[in-house]
Amino acid sequence: MADFKEVSPNASAGAKLTNWFENRVPTAFDAYRVHMSEYYAPKNFNFFYVFGALAMLVLVIQIVTGIFLVMHYKPDAALAFASVEYIMRDVPWGWLIRYMHSTGASMFFVVIYLHMYRGLIYGSYRKPRELVWLFGCAIFLCLMAEAFMGYLLPWGQMSYWGAQVIVNLFAAVPFVGPDLALLIRGDYVVGDATLNRFFSFHVIAVPLVLLGLVVAHLMALHDVGSNNPDGIEIKATKGPDGVPLDGIPFHPYYSVHDVFAVSMFLMVFSAIIFFAPEFGGYFLEYNNFIPADPLQTPLHIAPVWYFTPYYSMLRAITNEMVYVLIACVLGGALLSVVKFKMPAIFKGVILVGAAVVVAMMLSIDAKFWGVVAMGGAVVILFFLPWLDNCAVKSIRYRPDWHKYMYGVFVINFVILAYLGTQPPSAIGERVSQVGTLFYFGFFLLMPWWSRLGDTKPVPTRVNFVAH
Amino acid sequence: MKKILLTLIAALGFVVSAQANTGGIAWDKAPNKTNDLAALQNGAKLFVNYCLNCHSAAFMRFNRLKDIGLSEQQIKDNLLFTTEKVGETMRSAIDPRQAKAWFGANPPDLTVIARSRSAAGQGTGADYLYTYLRTFYPDDTKATGWNNLAFPNVSMPHVLWELQGKRAPVYETISEHGHEVNIFKGWEQLTPGTMTSAQYDLAMGDLVSYMQWMAEPAQNNRIRVGFGVMLFLLVMTLFAWRLNAAYWKDIK
Amino acid sequence: MSETLVDTQKFDSSKRTWLIASTCAGAVGVGAVAVPFVSTFQPSERAKAAGAAVEVDIAGLKPGEKLTVEWRGKPVWIVRRTPEQLTALTKVTNQLADPESKRKPDEFTPVYARNEGRSIKPEFFIAVGICTHLGCSPSDKFQPGPQASLPDDWQGGFLCPCHGSTFDMAGRVYKNKPAPDNLEVPPHMYLSDSKLLIGEDKKA
Repeated sequence: MADFKEVSPNASAGAKLTNWFENRVPTAFDAYRVHMSEYYAPKNFNFFYVFGALAMLVLVIQIVTGIFLVMHYKPDAALAFASVEYIMRDVPWGWLIRYMHSTGASMFFVVIYLHMYRGLIYGSYRKPRELVWLFGCAIFLCLMAEAFMGYLLPWGQMSYWGAQVIVNLFAAVPFVGPDLALLIRGDYVVGDATLNRFFSFHVIAVPLVLLGLVVAHLMALHDVGSNNPDGIEIKATKGPDGVPLDGIPFHPYYSVHDVFAVSMFLMVFSAIIFFAPEFGGYFLEYNNFIPADPLQTPLHIAPVWYFTPYYSMLRAITNEMVYVLIACVLGGALLSVVKFKMPAIFKGVILVGAAVVVAMMLSIDAKFWGVVAMGGAVVILFFLPWLDNCAVKSIRYRPDWHKYMYGVFVINFVILAYLGTQPPSAIGERVSQVGTLFYFGFFLLMPWWSRLGDTKPVPTRVNFVAH
Repeated sequence: MKKILLTLIAALGFVVSAQANTGGIAWDKAPNKTNDLAALQNGAKLFVNYCLNCHSAAFMRFNRLKDIGLSEQQIKDNLLFTTEKVGETMRSAIDPRQAKAWFGANPPDLTVIARSRSAAGQGTGADYLYTYLRTFYPDDTKATGWNNLAFPNVSMPHVLWELQGKRAPVYETISEHGHEVNIFKGWEQLTPGTMTSAQYDLAMGDLVSYMQWMAEPAQNNRIRVGFGVMLFLLVMTLFAWRLNAAYWKDIK
Repeated sequence: MSETLVDTQKFDSSKRTWLIASTCAGAVGVGAVAVPFVSTFQPSERAKAAGAAVEVDIAGLKPGEKLTVEWRGKPVWIVRRTPEQLTALTKVTNQLADPESKRKPDEFTPVYARNEGRSIKPEFFIAVGICTHLGCSPSDKFQPGPQASLPDDWQGGFLCPCHGSTFDMAGRVYKNKPAPDNLEVPPHMYLSDSKLLIGEDKKA
């Protein structure tokens, strides 16, 4: 035991116990140092920087409440709805666990959208943090799957028909679609087989993947260090001891800061749970208090609020709209061939590719392209690190009109979300179509517009006002 | 025959176009008596006597009525018809297949109907139920002889007609934008019931409040616990704020 | 450390105050949150309803007959003892392990059953039909006299097939048998001469 650290015989019991562990599992102590007490985070984090920690908190809340719900829930089409009411009425305090889980699901998306927004405006996805962003996008995808499958479990009208519609989207894929939908459902319509497998995925499969991705997300982040609202790399300016001048140890400064953020969050969370758990029908949809009826579709099926922006985009792709998209594909191909220098073979490939895509768009149903748009809206996020060509990371130092671009992007996203909750209408369709074009244009044209305008000079040290 | 014209309160308006959810009239605001134990008990009595014959409330246990101030003995003496055990759930005796044959549809379970019938922009499920129970009218073209303004062409007869009596809606035809529109003006009492209109409205308020309570029996407790939790979190947030400040004053 | 920090060595009193306050409040909070979660483990209303007391009509029970009902998932026997079976109870006292039901009375013998017949009315014997050894259900051996696995002077009672424990007509266990205790008498009361309620008694 030559490598063992010795501690003085006069040391306290606590110190001796700590030493016993440190000699046998030093990795844990190293991890504490690397990730907490000696992880130097920029001191200028603002309000937007709490949402990562809050997301972890909500994940823990969902897992713990989920564990207790599974003790009473029955994943059987004939018993599921009744078992949820059993939890609400017959299980002591069951109603609280249920509301925590349903509110937690919606709050997860509130927190995550704000978390992603922070990444967007401060350039947190840029080099060297591309992998952090990619893991994050993967987490977002898994979260959407988790929420979608979880929503089937109460087996209400919305659960059933929402699942029916979304699984039928997979049937829109050419050639393999119907078989794919059959494979997902395990039956010709959404039924008991579907419920059981969604239960398995929701309770264990996707949570395990989520946990793994969160670990990867944090490891990738901690290895390169956090970004900050000024977009400055604090590791560029280190003190004589090797510690970034603008860095402060995460523990105790940000652990204490996060405790405060958690308290505030819990106030909002509790206010909803105890005083408005349905949240106007957005967090617990009214139609879901009717048991699933395969023979009767409710008048208005809408997905849960956090999916509605993407649902709008899906609905926006009508036959008419496909022609607009064809024009965009052709326009984009021609523009890139004319504007950029590249070997002739590449130009050929681009033009042929565009022709193939246009042929497909003409021959395959608009329904399929709606699915492509909906999926593409999420997938395009993965490419963000390579779409942004701006010289500076953070919105603080970008040309002022960039701020308006981001502002319009957010407003557009919210409008799309609202339209997704409403039944289809002529005006709604037009606005969604414009909104979808803006959404994709924002990303696809970013390599060009992000380079426009004069950036402001970026300081070497962060902006910080003492508290 | 005396024609008694009664105007309904506030929000009753036109017979709406196809855009509305059920195609029915706008809903009145239901009185919220979920904190009034006497009203809830009266509502429970009405529910058991008039609704449980055809509808179930399969998730509601009889002994949960203790939460609205009834003793087990009172429940056993006054409310247990189809079962003998006070721990049982409120199941209707009717055979669903027979019900479907008689009414054309299986009477839905009512346990959470006050939650399921809410509609954004129209009102809560309680508002809907309050309007529904008060807008039945005789209609010879229907198998049951009854129709309803809030749920046009409903399969359910007016089970409370003895209390409310029979009344017919009165329309006025006016010209609007060049074509004629039927506007609902009020009610004409055809035969009296055992209750006056005001008494019936009060009784329906009780019944609907009971159904609102039944949809979530934990609601009053939820709000009470909520106040305690918010108070605690307020204190906790205060402490966390000062704790944060105590550390961050170090950072320059 | 970096130039950013000052006074890091001194853990000042304000930090200590608020750390203690927050930790205490946090501990209270965690405890308070744990209560509802742990409470969900308790029997639900459905379980309690299913475990509710059972009413039995004993009007048709003839002397020497046994009726079995289910209460809380367990078999409960109602035996209408004959006069001979009642007198036989005194004959076997010295063969029993616990003739006066003194062992763990709160578990096996409610107050109103702490008598020779271990019942409210001597004629009707009510017991949970589960052997106190390992939980099998004993068989009826009401016929007196020598039989397989039973002594020659057998007066009537019950024989557990699993490990051979024997009980008399008041459910009292014989000496030197694997079962340590007399059969459990469940809480019960008479609603009338013909109606028996198993699962509740007058003190409840």
